[in-house]
Order: sequence, then C-alpha cells, then structure tokens
Amino acid sequence: MTAARLEAAAIREEWLGHALSTSPADRSAAEAGISELYRLVGRKAPAFAWVRSPAEAVPHIPPMPRLRADLFSGRAADWPLSSLLADRYARLRDRLDMCVDRRRIPAGWPPWTTKLRTLPEEELSREASDSVHQSVLDAVLGPIRLAHKVVTGESRGLAWYGQHDAHWLAHYEIWRRVGGATYAHDDVRELEIWAVLARSCGWWWPVEGLCTVSERPVEVNTEPAGESGQIRLHAADGPAVRFADAWSVYSWHGTRVPRWVMTDPSVERIAAESNVEVRRCAIERLGWDVYIEQAGLKLVGSALDPGNQGSELRLYDIHNGFSRVLLAVNGSLERDGRRRMYGLTVPTSIDDPLAAAGWTYGLSAAQYSQLVRRT
Amino acid sequence: MTVTLASLSRQTGLSVLDHLEQEVTIPVLDGIQAQGDLLVIPLPVVADVVSIRADVRWTGVPAGGVELLRGAAGGNPHTLVADPLTCRWTTSINDRLGLALGLFEASEPVYLLHPEHGATGFVPGTYVVRRQREQVAAARRPGSATADARNRNRFIED
Repeated sequence: MTAARLEAAAIREEWLGHALSTSPADRSAAEAGISELYRLVGRKAPAFAWVRSPAEAVPHIPPMPRLRADLFSGRAADWPLSSLLADRYARLRDRLDMCVDRRRIPAGWPPWTTKLRTLPEEELSREASDSVHQSVLDAVLGPIRLAHKVVTGESRGLAWYGQHDAHWLAHYEIWRRVGGATYAHDDVRELEIWAVLARSCGWWWPVEGLCTVSERPVEVNTEPAGESGQIRLHAADGPAVRFADAWSVYSWHGTRVPRWVMTDPSVERIAAESNVEVRRCAIERLGWDVYIEQAGLKLVGSALDPGNQGSELRLYDIHNGFSRVLLAVNGSLERDGRRRMYGLTVPTSIDDPLAAAGWTYGLSAAQYSQLVRRT
Repeated sequence: MTVTLASLSRQTGLSVLDHLEQEVTIPVLDGIQAQGDLLVIPLPVVADVVSIRADVRWTGVPAGGVELLRGAAGGNPHTLVADPLTCRWTTSINDRLGLALGLFEASEPVYLLHPEHGATGFVPGTYVVRRQREQVAAARRPGSATADARNRNRFIED
C-alpha cells in the first residue's frame, strides 16, 4: 500500500515538474512528436515556427476555422487539420477513459456499486490524479489561458498545450501504473507521442503545413496549495510566470491579478478597480494598515483585543456597500520583532470591534471577550 | 514535567521558527484561546450550536501529534500534541455555523503547536476547534438580487 502511495506521488511529482519546467524546449523531440501526429491524421510533416511565448505566437496563428455543416460532410480528407487532430485526440481519450472506467465499474453493474468495491489503489489513483489536475489545469494553464485571451482578444486557432497537457497524461499514467487500468497497445504508443510533447515544449498551434510552437516560460513561481501536493501560482514582487519575450502572468496566492497589483498597488488604483478579488489582493499586497491610513478610512470604533497583550482591534468603514474592515494584530512576533497587522472584512451591520472579532469565529462580543490568550 | 516549545519540538519532531522563545514554559490555561487562524473554545461556550454526531469516530492523539489544519499558503500545520491515551480527536461533529474543524477531549493538559505561532496549552476538558472566517463578495451573477445571496464567507489562512 505504501509502495502504491509512493508511486502515485512520484508520478504526480514527475508530471507536475514537466508542467512547471522552465527549461528551453527540446525542439527536435517536439518537432518529431508533432510531425508524427500530423502523419497519424494523414498529413505531411509541417514546417515549424518557434516563438518565445504564447503571446508572440498570436500574429502567426489564423483564427479558429468556422465550423460549418458542409465541412463535416463525412469526407475526413476535407476537414481542417486542427479538426482532424481534435477528433483523433478525442477518440484516443474516449478509449482510454473506457479502460479507466472499467476499473471503476464492472461491466453490467449499476454505477452506484463502485461505492461498494473501491480499492485502495483506486482511491490513491483518484487522489493523485485530482491533485495534478488542480495544480496544472486549474492553477497554471487556466490563468495563463485567461491572460492569453486578453492578448488575442478572441479565441484564435486551436491550441494544444505541450507541458500544460501534463494533467491528463498524468491521469492515464497513474491509472495504468497504480490503479490497474490496461490500455490497448496502439493507444499506449499514441499516448506516448503526447507525453513526449508534454516533456519537451510549450503551447503549439497546428495548421496545414505549418506548426507554431512556443518555448516554455523562463520563470514560474508557485506556493503549496493543498493537502496532497497541489500548488498555485504566487509571486509577491514580480511575475508568477514570465516568458523570454517578457510576456508575463501575475498571481497573488493563486488569484490572477493585473501587473499594477505587484508594481504599483496604490489607493487610487484600488479604488478604480471593479473586480473585488483583485481589489482584495491589491490591498493585501499593500498591507491593510498602510491601505487604511492612505485611504483615510473612517474609524467606527476600537477596543483592546482580549488575550492579546495590549493590542487593539480597530473597525473601519470601507464604503463598498457590504462590509466593514477589522484591523487586527497578530498574537505572535514576526522575525523582525514586530507584530503583523491584518484586515478582516465583516458584515456592515456590525458596529462593535469585539462583536466583529467574535463574528469571525461565530461568537458573540461577550463570548469573544473571554478569550484568555492569543498567539 | 515542564513543557516548553523546545520539549514539544523534541517530542513531535516538528520544528518551530528560531526567533520564538524556546525555553519558556507554555501556559496551560482554562478558556478560549486563539492560535493564528484557529480558535479553541471550551465546548460549553458553544454547546447550543455544536454537537457530536451519533456516528462519531474518534482518533487517539499519539505522542507525535495530530495535524488539525495545514495553512494552504505557507504549508504550516497546527498540530495537537498530547501524552498517549490522554486525548482523542474527532471531526464527526455538527456546527450550525460550519466553522468547526473538529473537537478534542483531554484528560490531561494538551498542547497545540505551530511553527510560527508557538504553542498553546489547555487544561483537561472538551474543546471545539474553529476556523476564522471573513466576508467576501461573491461574483455578481444576473438574478442574485439580494445582498445575502451575493456575500459569502472565506476562511482565513495564515
């Protein structure tokens, strides 16, 4: 059991490593892999155009082909290349999914019976697969794709993600090596082509005769984000993801933010920002105490924080229509001997700082006042 | 035996930041205590909203401790530490406010240890461990007209 757990974790870490890799692309491996996929759908190997980032690829890639019924006449030879690849990919995954599902549900048994026969190896596989999925798809590919959409304006061409396809490749490998799924020989070979791409390059955009391929980023900053090895993008002083052409994605503890949040988190910019999550990140980046002072927030009330050695709780109006902010002081010292201050948003109906502090723990002001020690 | 940060650290194998005072005796107190984003509350204080479920499953707290919560950002855990056979922990509880992580019962003094916040000591008793929340505005969606529907809670992670 421990061996299976270690193996699942090792596969998870290996693929996460590929997804976060900042090494230069292995261009010959990537070109060979992509050429092989072109051949699988009956096309000749393309020429290659390498770019430093997905943003730099934008002028090179044509818009998504309009999907019209007459294109899908059944004569596959007439389909646009990207549709052929997408079809081939979808069929491969359908076949692999059936093999994984067969492990989960015995043929002919109703789906609810999986609950009765889940093996520890299957539970481990699910957990490891979910972890990579959250780290790669949700926490890395998702934010970069959203940032890229800002550059392209609209959806352009069908992209494949190279290193950021790691999550689904990890999924099938975990289920094969730990979860006990078996795949057809030909499918394993086809899967390996995609695996080579995930190990060797960034995003790529195939069209007839030409494939534009991006290098991987040159910098990726993350922090731990869960119980089973998940990560999320975070960098406090610069880009979380940076490519060689300087195209960058910024992230504060996993929330994608505009560049100014890191470089110029001023009260004016915070006031002008319409997205509340971005506003919260910018305030945290600036520091709640600094923000409250610079924004000139009106003090509603203050009180000694029970159990917290002469520290004060201060409640402020923040004029956002739904909350007030409670400025509290940490119970333990930082390395520099100071105590960190932090802001907590509380419902606007609360006037008393003690009631506000109590509310954050589901207690009344009277109950919170009984607090004997905070560290 | 005098319990200090240093002795708890030796017992559990968990390290604490070196700027915290290592040799001071950890006070063992009766009442509500806070450690960073967690609040430990004697059960009677919140007995009207927190209850132990009928199908409760307990975990004995070993000398090495039980991790109650690991901070998502920094990965720093809050660890409950007790002498063997003196404390048990469960997450099989109902909290009407949905803030409780679980509950522990101690027949001897027990300690909560955190790398940045140091240690907190508790006299024997039954305690509820709650997380701290704040209010955040949910993304506005067409149709969610009331303020209540738009606002939700977010747990604090330090």
